[in-house]
Amino acid sequence: MRRDIESTSPTAGGGWDVPASPSPWQRLIGEDGLQKWVFYVPIAFMVLFFAIPMTATVVWSVFERTQFWMEPGFTFSAYENFFTSARVENYLSSMIHSAWAVVICFVLGFPVAVFVRRRVPRVAQHRVILLFILPFMISELVRVFAMRPVLGRYGLVNSFLMDIGLINEPITVILFSPLGVIIGDVLSFLPFMVFAGFLAMEAVQLYVFEVCDDLGAGTVRTFSDVIVPLAAPGIFAGSVFIFVNSLGVALVPIILGGPGAVNAGLIVNQAIVALDFPLAMAISTIMIVTLMALLYVGHRLFDLTKILEPIN
Amino acid sequence: MQSMTAAAAVSGFGGISMRHAFAADPLRLWAAGIHKVGAKDWSAMEAQAGIKIAYTTKSARADESIQKMVVGDGNKLFDAMTDNGGGMEDALASQNVIVPLDTSRIPNWKNILPVYREGGSAADTIRYEGKVYATPMISNADSMAYDYKVLGFHPDSWGVLFDSQFKGYVALQNDFGPTLTNMAIYLKQSGKIEITNPSDMTPGEVKAVCQFLIDYKKKGQFRTFWDGFQNGVDLLATGEVLLSSCWEPIQIVANRKTGDKADIRYGSMKEGHQAWNNMIMLTKGGRERGADESYYKLANVYLSPWFGARTLAGLGFGAQMVGVDTYIKANPEEFPPEKRKEVIDILTRKKERLANKGNAWQNVFPKNLRAYQDWWARLQAA
Repeated sequence: MRRDIESTSPTAGGGWDVPASPSPWQRLIGEDGLQKWVFYVPIAFMVLFFAIPMTATVVWSVFERTQFWMEPGFTFSAYENFFTSARVENYLSSMIHSAWAVVICFVLGFPVAVFVRRRVPRVAQHRVILLFILPFMISELVRVFAMRPVLGRYGLVNSFLMDIGLINEPITVILFSPLGVIIGDVLSFLPFMVFAGFLAMEAVQLYVFEVCDDLGAGTVRTFSDVIVPLAAPGIFAGSVFIFVNSLGVALVPIILGGPGAVNAGLIVNQAIVALDFPLAMAISTIMIVTLMALLYVGHRLFDLTKILEPIN
Repeated sequence: MQSMTAAAAVSGFGGISMRHAFAADPLRLWAAGIHKVGAKDWSAMEAQAGIKIAYTTKSARADESIQKMVVGDGNKLFDAMTDNGGGMEDALASQNVIVPLDTSRIPNWKNILPVYREGGSAADTIRYEGKVYATPMISNADSMAYDYKVLGFHPDSWGVLFDSQFKGYVALQNDFGPTLTNMAIYLKQSGKIEITNPSDMTPGEVKAVCQFLIDYKKKGQFRTFWDGFQNGVDLLATGEVLLSSCWEPIQIVANRKTGDKADIRYGSMKEGHQAWNNMIMLTKGGRERGADESYYKLANVYLSPWFGARTLAGLGFGAQMVGVDTYIKANPEEFPPEKRKEVIDILTRKKERLANKGNAWQNVFPKNLRAYQDWWARLQAA
């Protein structure tokens, strides 16, 4: 009450200028109202859609398996089953294939990002990069399945190579094989490397290229000693996207893989089909731990907060 | 909703009458697309049964069905459901999510194939603890499709899958259930491995069958293991493989797709096949909502030669009632001579295949399921 009296002041007319009290609407959305809570929305989102499901996954992985579901308990039998069965081999080979997909995406995709940054006029750069979104407009199932008539025994690649006389017999190793899966992963996830690489390249000022030219550094040296280190956080971020998707998206090995080809996502799926939910949760937990470890190492090496520098 | 309100008003809101009030509502059916015949939607089935059907698509995954019904909201959502093959009715009945049937309310029950009355594996598939819980709709004995134009002969043994001249041209189904069962039938009947029951193998038997397949996988015998209907069709239709253990509709569609370029046929294997059927069941929730009458009307259609003839002609599935051949002959406008010959031929071969003594019934829950899973993972890793 006292504060109210002090905050008022006499007006020229001798009256008192009392500040208008905020309307109910202003009170609702003002700094003390909803506005204050807006900042908590991302936290709520992360808790609801990230922390809780992750915690549930870890907790369920130690539950007891029942005939059709699971019940509370504490056992590592699902983990034991994973590490003592061929699933661990499948998981590791899936990681190796995913790593290959990352390497190939880097070799093909990052130079595109560098080229766009350096050679394309600034006003057109974002439009060119946006072209890489186009494949995502088509269902992934269709995109992956469309590889079959291209890579198949009598597909476009083999027909072309035989027509020009380069081969006499179809090359069968490019489909229904680990190589087929890697090709599928690269074609599906290459744009991630282009986007992340371009974002990282935006932090590299154009004069850097000029300085390198002036100092006589060749293209290879400029790329390996200057550009890659500067863009490392972005390259790493793109690599993580590609690695995680290659590891988890079951579609690619199903359609392009060889006899019984699997990746980590498919191993989880197969555990669910067999109604072994703790095992599915345990494999998911292992995937989460793998990803976290990867992110930790990446952050220590490249400081991932730098990815956002161009935006800042 | 309107019908419910009106009926409730007439009945004085009595509990029993309220149940009947729902009977006018559509039958909420959870089924796969292959469980209907006639029009592309369910209108032909509705017209035959004289009921309305609210249809929800169901996948071919047994785990999904069981999970939804046992621990999910399946009973709230569906009055009736179809199954995914051997053993599901036992699992569902044991969990009290489906209810026993009064077969006297299905007039066509008199047409049901004798095997369902005689006892044994087929009769067991519709019963749990002696009571009937399901009405069979379709059945088959899964076999192998092959391109006759390239092969030049009709294979009659699973052994052809392991013939070195077809190295890299063979596909198997990417599902340990049917694949291991069919391979176990072959290995047992050809005397290569001693197996007591191919439908329910011991861990040692599972290991022996998988090791046999691992050896051939390492030799490069298999092009791939197919997953999903379209995938299976595409492999045969593009000539990517010449031999594939698969469902009969895959062969039918692949053959239609290739036209004159190939001649894809479905064989009968002398060793035997994995036999299976699909059934329709009344859920506990369906009974509580008074859906019995609609269910029985639909079940009656499933046991009519009208349905049997069409599922046989369209998808090549076995009919579950007697009198299909008579029906086909009696309806020349629907089945002209050429079509009749083709369907009767499929029916004859199917009867032979289903009568093979080496057949083993599909079992989606073998006792040693973990061994099946673990050895399948090894086969994948090999």
